[in-house]
Amino acid sequence: MAANRDEPSKYVTLISNDGFEFVLLREATVVSPTIKAMLRDGRQWREATTGRCEFPDISGAVLEKVVEYFQYWYKNRDKLDVPDMDIPVEICLELLVAADYLGLDSKPPLPSHGA
Amino acid sequence: MSRQNRQGRSSIRGPQSALTDFLASHNISANQIRLDADARRRAAQNNPDQVDPNQQDDGSSALPAAPADTPDEIPAGPAQAGPSRPRRSAAETSTRDDKRKKEQQKVIDKIKASKKFQKRKRNADDSEDEDDVARAIFQQRSAPLPGQMENCANCGKRFTVTPYSRSAPDGGGLLCTPCGKELSQDDDLPKKKKKPVPAGGPIGRRRQLQSNILDGTYQPGSKSLTTLCIETLAKNIDLAGDLGDLPWPVVDKIARKLSKHRLLNTTTLDLFLQPTAEEVYIYDGAKLSADDYIRVFQTVANLKKLKIRNAIHFKDEVMDYLISRHIDLEEIYLHGANLLASSKWHEFLHAKGQSLRSLRVYWTDKHFGNDILASLPTTCPSLNRLKVSHNQEVNGDGVKEIAKLKQLRHLSLDLREHVHSDVYVSVLSEIGHDLETFALSRVPDLDNTVLDAIHNKCRSLEKLRITDSEVMTDEGFVRLFNGWENRGLLFLDLQKCRQLESSKPRENPDNVGLCSNGFRALMAHSGKRLRNLNIHACRHISAAAFEEVFGPDKVYPDLQKMEISFCEEVTDFIVGCIFRACPNLRELNVFGCMKVKDVRVPRGRILVGVPNAVGMMIEGDDDDD
Repeated sequence: MAANRDEPSKYVTLISNDGFEFVLLREATVVSPTIKAMLRDGRQWREATTGRCEFPDISGAVLEKVVEYFQYWYKNRDKLDVPDMDIPVEICLELLVAADYLGLDSKPPLPSHGA
Repeated sequence: MSRQNRQGRSSIRGPQSALTDFLASHNISANQIRLDADARRRAAQNNPDQVDPNQQDDGSSALPAAPADTPDEIPAGPAQAGPSRPRRSAAETSTRDDKRKKEQQKVIDKIKASKKFQKRKRNADDSEDEDDVARAIFQQRSAPLPGQMENCANCGKRFTVTPYSRSAPDGGGLLCTPCGKELSQDDDLPKKKKKPVPAGGPIGRRRQLQSNILDGTYQPGSKSLTTLCIETLAKNIDLAGDLGDLPWPVVDKIARKLSKHRLLNTTTLDLFLQPTAEEVYIYDGAKLSADDYIRVFQTVANLKKLKIRNAIHFKDEVMDYLISRHIDLEEIYLHGANLLASSKWHEFLHAKGQSLRSLRVYWTDKHFGNDILASLPTTCPSLNRLKVSHNQEVNGDGVKEIAKLKQLRHLSLDLREHVHSDVYVSVLSEIGHDLETFALSRVPDLDNTVLDAIHNKCRSLEKLRITDSEVMTDEGFVRLFNGWENRGLLFLDLQKCRQLESSKPRENPDNVGLCSNGFRALMAHSGKRLRNLNIHACRHISAAAFEEVFGPDKVYPDLQKMEISFCEEVTDFIVGCIFRACPNLRELNVFGCMKVKDVRVPRGRILVGVPNAVGMMIEGDDDDD
């Protein structure tokens, strides 16, 4: 995942605390304000230059579900009447903590953003 | 009883039990009873039609038993066999066993030929052995008849078989009553869990969608991950032992979700009582008892903010306990605590009023009256927010006293007793300058003098609510908003401020209620800052006024929610203008606007209440422009 300096890669890598790496579309991660801020171009965070975000507090199992949610959100972002994603009960609380950390709780901005 | 007794009358006897003595005194021999019982048991055993499956175990190991239950059955066998076994010789036993085996095989062969067996075989898996099926049927038949004694297949206890005795899950033997109950409980649980099948089909889904829209929880696209997690958690809340160190807003969301499903009870309450917390918000306390409320104060020692809805059992004893503790509440919000006596309110305010900054009381019937409001200026000197809602006791005399609360910033009243406008005017002239919230619900007699008082006195108002006034006029609203030295309001609710005249409903010669000019004046004054506007049923606002207010050069950037139901003049064009002029409008309610027919809704916006066959809502599926 060597990120091009001029044109940032379309993909980013998310790394869990036990070393699992998930590569997914950059656009799918913008739903999380936390990741969006990490990857913002203007500031020279290490994450922004390398396109790799490490989450030392999130385990592989939980991050996998988070990544699944990103894909689910990305796939359904324009749809109405979206079926709910299945959340495994046993990691529900950990996932909740991760979701809170990643800021996945607010309503997304209106698609038309005031045009 | 001692073992020697069993050997017969001739043998040496040990000490007798009290029962045996008692029976002997009534000419009944305990030994005879025992012998009779043994004889019955033997008879039951020897009768081939009623062979007890447990007894078979000693001779033939061929009978299948589920591996999990085998250890349980082991104690059952010898215990039952004990009394009769020593009387048989080994050879006798083996021949009898052979005979029994043969007879059993005969019965099993018969079963194999029967219709029932064929039917069951068809239903069974291919993997199941033919013999196993036949044996299962055999065992069912050979179960002891009601009235006999039997050893429980689960716990090994002896019990009397009744027609209601359940057979063990693996088919081997019967269960005693306690074990049977346990089994049926286990059976019921999965059945209950299966029941709430998600509403299937397009109709069920649409209904759920519309329910969400009316709840205000709907949003286009997928739900947030937090919401998904909380919903899963709420469904499985019985599995959660502790919420851990989740941040407060998330815990609060879980509490709301649980209350919505009415799942907050004595057990789940513990999840929300963290000893270090300063707030406890209980959104549905209907299932909590007085002891639960006392437990709140025991657990959360640093409590500052307390909110309880449906606090039915927040009774005198709870208030007594609260008064006795070192808890100085800053905010108290009690909804539906109508078992709380007036005297307890007094006691509480005298003891704990000093620290109180917010007092909100809903649905208290007659126990929260004028005298309590009168005591507030002395007992609660720093009171900042006061809300008295659905109150049948407070009248003008009590409202007058509010004028003495110099620190008050937020005032909301929803009273049943008539209060004259002059009372409100006097309150506003005293404390109006600093008020940020002024809300009067259901005040049919409130007149323009109150509007003028607001205009003259209020300088910090952000939220204004006056509903159901039948006397205020358009001119009064124009005077209020024109040149008002108050920043634009954030929240305005003028619901049902309109003329009510059944004989001539169309005419409104005096311009009673919020009409065209008042609407223009209010949007000119507050439009730039308004977030929430409710002009429900202000039906004399003309189409021209709407078109002018939401004209091409107007933008209301902060408006997020608007309620214009029953404004008769609203058309498709006006709705389109509103969506254009309010870029951040999420929800627009147009119930009863019969001229709205076929409107294009921008994506991500919600339009509720369109009177057409689609139902009550169109959710934006068109792209902007």
